[in-house]
Amino acid sequence: MIKCENILKKYSDRTVLSIPQLEIKSGESVCLTGANGSGKSTLLKIIAGVIPFEGKLEAQGSILYMPQKSLCFDMSVLSNVTYSLSGKKKDKEEIAFEALKKVGLEALYKKNASGLSGGEAARLSLARLLVHECDILLLDEPTGAVDIEGTEIIENAVKSFVKENKCTLITATHSPLQAKRMSDRVIMLEKGEKVEDSSPEELLIAPKTDFGKKFVDMWRY
Amino acid sequence: MLLTMDKELIQIIGVTLKMSFFSTLISCFLGLPLGVLIERGRFWGRRTLKKTASTLMGLPPVVAGLIVYMLFTKYGIFGSLGLLFTVEVMVIAQVLLITPVVICLTSSVISVSGKHLSETARGLSLSKGKTLLLFVFHNRRALLSVVLTAFGRSIAEVGAVSLVGGNIQWKTRVMTTAILLETNKGKFTFALALGMVLLLISLIVNIGASLLTKRRDSDD
Repeated sequence: MIKCENILKKYSDRTVLSIPQLEIKSGESVCLTGANGSGKSTLLKIIAGVIPFEGKLEAQGSILYMPQKSLCFDMSVLSNVTYSLSGKKKDKEEIAFEALKKVGLEALYKKNASGLSGGEAARLSLARLLVHECDILLLDEPTGAVDIEGTEIIENAVKSFVKENKCTLITATHSPLQAKRMSDRVIMLEKGEKVEDSSPEELLIAPKTDFGKKFVDMWRY
Repeated sequence: MLLTMDKELIQIIGVTLKMSFFSTLISCFLGLPLGVLIERGRFWGRRTLKKTASTLMGLPPVVAGLIVYMLFTKYGIFGSLGLLFTVEVMVIAQVLLITPVVICLTSSVISVSGKHLSETARGLSLSKGKTLLLFVFHNRRALLSVVLTAFGRSIAEVGAVSLVGGNIQWKTRVMTTAILLETNKGKFTFALALGMVLLLISLIVNIGASLLTKRRDSDD
């Protein structure tokens, strides 16, 4: 369960996020959507505990977070995944290799991660999370720089991880269509404020606000 | 002279390497963690420390030498230690000169990847120790350049070491002070030979460092 009350985030005098009330139940899959600078990443960072904020936040359980600019460590693909694990080297490598298989990177396990493409790097960032267990999974535009095939791989890997772990999923995305595929609830943000909170179908068919209509229409065409 | 390996030349090279090695080692031991701390830490006086370090980067070597000289002269605070005109005090002067350079360069290396690396590590719930290790390992190539720059500055320094070391034959004479002396005496051949050795040492250190990084990469 995640409970936000009067969350406020300012950079100097500029308010970038203002959420009076938000509740996300355990096991819920939620997508945060909206234009650039709408506050999606800021909200995820606040929940992940990466940045300070004003207000009250309750987030029960362990959290895994994939930032928008998730960095691949300057080491091999396999070492990138094993780095956050503890235990015997052989066991860690087996677990890591399984995770790499899930995102289709097993053939590149020896390669240095700094030489990966944008899409491969995103898949590796996800694989690093898949080796852990968590109660809350936060993904900030995980397919931002990924092609259609890579997007499908990432979405499937995330879905099966969420199913296995029965965890809460919050994904930030620009795409209402991805929101429909990945979640059962969509929260739309505009200039740091919550403007829509509905099911993905409702958002796509009948957005409640003018901004929602404009945003969805832009994606249709 | 180089081929016959003149005894004095070998002694000068030995003193130079000893002084450069220890001053680089101590400077990096102090400067690398401080550089990371300045960039990633949140503590009172952080900005003042950063400004002080960048100001000290421009400290003229002779001024550094003068400060150390005054501290270690017979009537100085540390005069009783009797370290003036020894290799030890030369190392101290070098540390005073090089540490700010190591701090500032480390800080700028860390600042490049700092924010994103820190967020990624946080997202994976890495411990503070593992995060720090990650910062060092991820930036190892750039940090190695910092170490090489420190060594380069140390081996090429002349002002401070001649002041506190005294350029004493068979004791505190290093390559740079010897080059200066031999040039003043008009013995250009010996000075030139020392210059070539100085360049050769720099080349060997650089090749060794790049080989070390390559080997580590294949170990990943």
